Amino acid sequence: MSGTLLAVERLNLAFVSAGQRVPVINNLTFSVAPGESLAVVGRSGSGKSTLLNLLCGLQTPDDGVIAIDNESFGNASDAVSIARWAELRRQLIGVVFQQANLMPALSLVDNVRLRTHLAGRHKQDERWWLQRLGVGDQADRYPDRVSGGQAQRAALAMVFAMSPSLILADEPTGSLDRHTADEVAESLFNVQVETGCALVLATHDSELAACCGRVLDLSAAG
Amino acid sequence: MLIRAFLSHYQRHPFQLAALMLMIVLATMLWTGVTVLTDQARSSLAQSEETVAARAHIVRTDGQPVGVEDFVRLRKTGVCVAPWLEVKRPAPEGQVIGVDPMSMACFGRSAPIQDAASLDGMPFMDIGDALRVSQEGYDSQLYLIAPRDDIELPQGYALRAFSLAPPTGELADSFLLNLDALSLLVLLITGLLIRSVYRLGLVQREASFELLYRFGVLPRRIRQLLVLELVVLTAVGVPPGLWLGASLAEALGTGFGQALGSLFDLTLYAESFGSLPWRAAVVMVALVLTVCLLEWVFPQPRQPAMVSAYARLGGGALLLAGALGVVLATELVWVFAGTALVFAGVGLLTPPLLAAVEERRSVRSGATASVADPLRRWRARELSVMFRQLALPVVALQFSIAAVLAVHALVTTFESTFEQWLGQRLAADFYIEVPQGGDSATAARRLNALEGLGTWHLVAHGKAQVRPEEAGTGADPLTADLMALTPITDLVSDWALLSSAERPWRELASGAVMVNEQLARRHDVEVGSPLELTIAGTRMRTNVVGIYADYGRPVAEVLLHADTLPAAFTPRSESFSVNKGELSRDVIHDRLADTWGAPDLQVRDNASIRELASQIFDQTFLLTRAISALTLVLAAVALLIMIWVFFTTRVWYFRLLGVWGLQGHQVRRQLRLLSVRLTLTITAAALPLGIWLTWVLVNRINPLAFGWSLPMDLYPVFWLELGLMAGAAGLLVAHLMRRQLERDANGERP
Ligand SMILES: Nc1ncnc2c1ncn2[C@@H]1O[C@H](COP(=O)(O)OP(=O)(O)OP(=O)(O)O)[C@@H](O)[C@H]1O
Ligand SMILES: [Mg+2]
Repeated sequence: MSGTLLAVERLNLAFVSAGQRVPVINNLTFSVAPGESLAVVGRSGSGKSTLLNLLCGLQTPDDGVIAIDNESFGNASDAVSIARWAELRRQLIGVVFQQANLMPALSLVDNVRLRTHLAGRHKQDERWWLQRLGVGDQADRYPDRVSGGQAQRAALAMVFAMSPSLILADEPTGSLDRHTADEVAESLFNVQVETGCALVLATHDSELAACCGRVLDLSAAG
Repeated sequence: MLIRAFLSHYQRHPFQLAALMLMIVLATMLWTGVTVLTDQARSSLAQSEETVAARAHIVRTDGQPVGVEDFVRLRKTGVCVAPWLEVKRPAPEGQVIGVDPMSMACFGRSAPIQDAASLDGMPFMDIGDALRVSQEGYDSQLYLIAPRDDIELPQGYALRAFSLAPPTGELADSFLLNLDALSLLVLLITGLLIRSVYRLGLVQREASFELLYRFGVLPRRIRQLLVLELVVLTAVGVPPGLWLGASLAEALGTGFGQALGSLFDLTLYAESFGSLPWRAAVVMVALVLTVCLLEWVFPQPRQPAMVSAYARLGGGALLLAGALGVVLATELVWVFAGTALVFAGVGLLTPPLLAAVEERRSVRSGATASVADPLRRWRARELSVMFRQLALPVVALQFSIAAVLAVHALVTTFESTFEQWLGQRLAADFYIEVPQGGDSATAARRLNALEGLGTWHLVAHGKAQVRPEEAGTGADPLTADLMALTPITDLVSDWALLSSAERPWRELASGAVMVNEQLARRHDVEVGSPLELTIAGTRMRTNVVGIYADYGRPVAEVLLHADTLPAAFTPRSESFSVNKGELSRDVIHDRLADTWGAPDLQVRDNASIRELASQIFDQTFLLTRAISALTLVLAAVALLIMIWVFFTTRVWYFRLLGVWGLQGHQVRRQLRLLSVRLTLTITAAALPLGIWLTWVLVNRINPLAFGWSLPMDLYPVFWLELGLMAGAAGLLVAHLMRRQLERDANGERP
């Protein structure tokens, strides 16, 4: 059914630190429909980043099931599921972090090119995407020669260019000033709606969270 | 408290501290080893030269030249003194020295001439004859020489230093010069390495210095602390390095004096390693402080783009000037200066050049979109960044690989030539010198009559004046060592000749000659060249039928058949080379000792001599190789450290590749490709420099310093070996990085 792209069921993860078991994700259940946007909020240390890592297979849960496009992943970390997760990240799941999303040795356009190449897309529309996100003029510059906001726009262009079904964004505007953050966020939501991909956005910015269709509060859930 | 904040960096990165310490220890060790060995060689040579040559001569304090009446007066007061008349006669005959063996009797063992028999006018002759020569109108100068420089003199006389200046002195100096050059290169490389490791740590600490500055700490205070830190580091690192280096030198250098001795026919005295070489320590401390604190002397300009443009221009100019200097130089010093310039130029040019090459590659791999591989482009770009950021260790590694290549080529050529030479000279089982007054002809007859004896020949040694016909009659003849053979057997006919006419040995028996490589190379003598020989005053014309290898012996040699010799020739010495065949050494000894009435006759066993000679030379070669190999290891360790630290700052981006969907093994493959390409590229960049350095050593430095040149052989198999080693080093780096990548699975973002 077209109802769910991502389904999470009774997810559990705890870290062991100094011999103590510290639960971070507790019995978490939720789902995201295609094209839907979900804000993950919660105080610092509540497990937002950890959850996003789980959702793209960079970390493995202790318990529970994550289903992407009806394909289920449990707590197994065997070679097969590792390879499958990698394939999903290549083609379906775009990840954006707060910063350092770009290879410093490559120009913006080459970064996008590399990302779409890995995704198996060869449409050569990198420049168009950079234009679309408002950094077309900076396409040939290197990441350390553009502003933080421009770098984040390029990072978004890079993710959209791979035409993912799901974008996981971990405080993508967290290192930007208010004004720039709003502009970047606006671009993000516009293009997200346009392309119809789903978005899971971790943030502690309630205004930004309010722009999403739904909100998942990890502090409350914990 | 301030100090604790200051040192907090090393608390978080103890590895960097350890790396810096390791570099200081290793560099000190290398430098100490090199200096101790060079010093040992130097003082051994100095001592031996003293015994051979150092003497004193007596002058009048009133400034008047000494004359015969002074000699008489001094002898009457009981002073041991002898006349020494130098007659400056121009070539071809050349300068002669007139001496009086009688009055030299009081010199004892330190007399330059032991008996009147060796006065043959080359250059020594009896003072009476010399006086006659001087009256032909040549400049002459009379000295009164004394056996020691501490003898008592009557009023009106004083002692001055006087040197025989043995011909070996220049050779020894050149050898030392080569060693010095090698150690200078070592110093340069170690300086580069220490600086690169130190700078790396400093760059990372800049942020915390900035913070301290904002907290109100004066920059001057920070500098003081930095100097203090360096002083402490060197104080801790230099002594163990010193000790290690001295032990290394002692282990390697025991046979070194011997090696020099057999190279230059000098008696050497091995010096004991009494104390640690503190002079090396001072140089090392100075080096560390200089290279680490260079910025304060020359503040770094702000615009790196401008700097690199200037650097490239300057590098190109240095390279050109140096290369030109090396080609045109007529003195050794200038060759060294030119070489230094070329190295400086190459050092400035290599990193930007390699970076540019990678840049181009990255552009190319993006140009043709159908086959475009963005990952390859990323690797090329990443490498380009690395060549810029790791410029110093890259250059240091390049230099040391080049040095290793050159030393290897030179030493291998030496070794193989030397092996052949030994085979030639020590072909027979035994070597027997005909004792003073012994009759060689009778001995030859009695050897012939000896049933069961293997092949043998008799060699008469002497001197000959040689003039290549092409040089024209006006040219100066040169003096060559003469060797006259009889009979010609398989002891010589198996020699590997560098070039020869047809049936050269038969030609030799009928009056032709062979010359050594030295004579051939320096005077353009070829097979078939006519040659004019003057032996014992008899002039004869002959032609060259063969050229044999001589291991760069700096003296010209002529080989002929004894029947070719003029009747007037009297040999300086004669020797038999004998294969024992079915007989024992004792039988041969007894037969000859009986012939000559010399019961204490020496029968030299060539096999054991050959073994000893090989051993001694192996040790010399080992030493040269060890120095260059150690330099290579040092440079490789430094590069390893640098790449490791560099990759540490890049760990996040390798993880990003994982986020983008590359699996672990794919990320590791990228890592391997990167590091292996890095080490291979540096090796490839070192190759031309190494070949050029070999050329300089073989075709410029050796001819100028030693007066001979070896063939320049290249050893591509060794290049391949070095390439494999570089590849292996790259894989090792990748392996270390992989562990780092796995440990910091959630690596910090920059
Ligand atoms: N590798 C780890 N080992 C141990 N504990 C960890 C690890 N990673 C995260 N944690 C802990 O898990 C908790 C959740 O961390 P996480 O980074 O997901 O929080 P967050 O909600 O993203 O916080 P922030 O808003 O500050 O980014 C924290 O308490 C953190 O200390
Ligand atoms: Mg977080």
